[in-house]
Amino acid sequence: MKRMLPKLAASAVVCAALVTAGSAADVIKIGVQAPITGKYANEGQSIDNGVRLTVEQVNAAGGLLGKQLEVVSCDDEGKAQKAAICARKLVNEGVLAVIGSYTSGATEAAQTTYYRNKILQTSDGTSDSLTKHKYWTFFRNSFQNSAQAEFTAKYLVKEKGYKKIVVLSDYSSYAVGLADSAASAIKAEGGNLIYQGKIKSGTQNFTAVLTKIKSMEPDAIYFSGYYTDGGLIRAQQIQLGIKADFIGGDSNDNPDFMKLAGKSAEGTLLVNFPTPDFLPYDTAKEFLKAYQDKYGMPVSSVWAIMNVDGLRAIIHGVEQTKSLDTKTISDYLHTLRDFPGITGPVSFREDGERINTKFNVYEVQADNSYKIINN
Amino acid sequence: MDIFLQQLVNGLTIGSLYALVALGYTMVYGVMKLINFAHGDLVALSAFAGLTIYTNIFSDSGTSIVAVITVFMFTAAIIAVVGVLLERLAYRPLRTAPRLSAVVSALGAGLVIQNAIMLIWGPNMKIFPSNLFPSTIYEINGVVITFTQLMILLFSSVLMIALYLFINKTKMGTAIRAVAIDQDAAKLMGINVNKIIMIIFIIGSGLGAVAGLFIGIYYRGITFDMGWMYGLSAFVAAIIGGIGNIPGAMFGGLMLGLFNALISGYISSAWAETFTFMLLIVVLIFRPTGILGEKVAEKV
Repeated sequence: MKRMLPKLAASAVVCAALVTAGSAADVIKIGVQAPITGKYANEGQSIDNGVRLTVEQVNAAGGLLGKQLEVVSCDDEGKAQKAAICARKLVNEGVLAVIGSYTSGATEAAQTTYYRNKILQTSDGTSDSLTKHKYWTFFRNSFQNSAQAEFTAKYLVKEKGYKKIVVLSDYSSYAVGLADSAASAIKAEGGNLIYQGKIKSGTQNFTAVLTKIKSMEPDAIYFSGYYTDGGLIRAQQIQLGIKADFIGGDSNDNPDFMKLAGKSAEGTLLVNFPTPDFLPYDTAKEFLKAYQDKYGMPVSSVWAIMNVDGLRAIIHGVEQTKSLDTKTISDYLHTLRDFPGITGPVSFREDGERINTKFNVYEVQADNSYKIINN
Repeated sequence: MDIFLQQLVNGLTIGSLYALVALGYTMVYGVMKLINFAHGDLVALSAFAGLTIYTNIFSDSGTSIVAVITVFMFTAAIIAVVGVLLERLAYRPLRTAPRLSAVVSALGAGLVIQNAIMLIWGPNMKIFPSNLFPSTIYEINGVVITFTQLMILLFSSVLMIALYLFINKTKMGTAIRAVAIDQDAAKLMGINVNKIIMIIFIIGSGLGAVAGLFIGIYYRGITFDMGWMYGLSAFVAAIIGGIGNIPGAMFGGLMLGLFNALISGYISSAWAETFTFMLLIVVLIFRPTGILGEKVAEKV
């Protein structure tokens, strides 16, 4: 109970402050729908913290259109059922926009409710299906899986100039989708795709497929699945003496990949969105420092600050249009080009897709550290 | 041609692991007419126990023969004890019960072991260090074989030959065969049936432990539920070879490994399991007692 007292006192102060702040019409409410508890709690809390920090900065600088911003958070636990409840709650609160959620599933479950109530929403989910409804209220602040595939294809064919490319995936819908997009993008770039195959995730023994690949003498093997298989594929590839470069999709970017591959990890290329530490922009450095100062820990991952970028774009939209009408803001955002975000320039397509996201290619060094090798 | 030979090497390696595990199934079945479904989970347990022993005692010693021998001896001993306990707690009380009860008990024991692994070591993949064996690679006419693969092939053949000689040439082996034919008659001849069954579990679990360690060293990533996958494959191998028959289990394991590698290599890895079970059905239709099942009259 003793521990509760400061919290109670604090909330009493906050309540008093809110009462004195005046009527509700003077504030603009921003909703956060994120998995604040549960499996993805660290990501959800980071999103909530990031949004609160941004709002604090805006309020300190005089607010938005002369009004103060207020954050209303709802915990969806990363679950679709909870997401639907959150959506109704945030609609009733009368928020202007909702930031989140973290998972594609929870985002999709709430999307239609926000659309029907003309509330803007921005999320980091990467599932291609999020923008298929073409809701004018929805803005993806991360990248679509197919964007990663196009980047990878261009990098393999144009920059590295590989002549014989093999594409592998497991049977999961995510990996197959990424591999299929990569394969067609490689062909579109004029690359020579010599083989596209699938491995059964978790079977551990990939030598049969790799031996078959060996006879084709590839110079690049791209794997779109997860690190638990990717690390083993890399190890067995080197073991069999296949002298091809190994390029892993974003799900291979995990310390366990290096452990599984052992010494073979060196020289592996991994394609992923920049991790926060690698973001080159000044806005990124400032924001990450402010976050560290306020919360005493770094941002959990790049996904949290992608969502902050979504919020920053919406705030920018309100400032530019001098309007709180969501349709007006949305129309403006659909034409937004190269707004300087924390995670790089923010541009939206008419279906709410963020375009021109930047990817990094990391080369794994002998000590398992990363070196960025694209520019 | 070297592609085909490479697939043969790959297939034989995984096949000898299947064979080692299959021996555990077949020996227990031969003596007790019980399918020990917990056997696969013992294999998984051995990989986890071996990893813990290695990381706690030898993590700094790198590639050392002492470390490897100690890990193998200790792990095999631990798993043999677990195997004996398993028999004592889960199977002996049901020895006179209908056979179905014992099978259900075996499935339950398997679940207990699997979940115990998850509770002790956690649900995430654990990873074996890469320096347990030297990472030497030999290449003969374009066919690649690693030091680990050589060790697997060598070690499992030695163990299988030793087991074959033990069963067929020693007094103890004769006693095991006698119990397999008729427990009551063996008892009348002065054979201690409980002791024989205990020995069967020690040998079977020990061989499974060796297989589990090799799986960990060869593939590196181990998960708490991997016992089911290896157990099922080895069980199929034991049936194809003729369950209860020791050379049958060896033959079945090697054959299954080769079959899998060739299907994955020349058709698709997605079809490997489908074809494995089709092979099982075909064998059961045309030779219901397994490929080597009929030649040997007594089942051990």
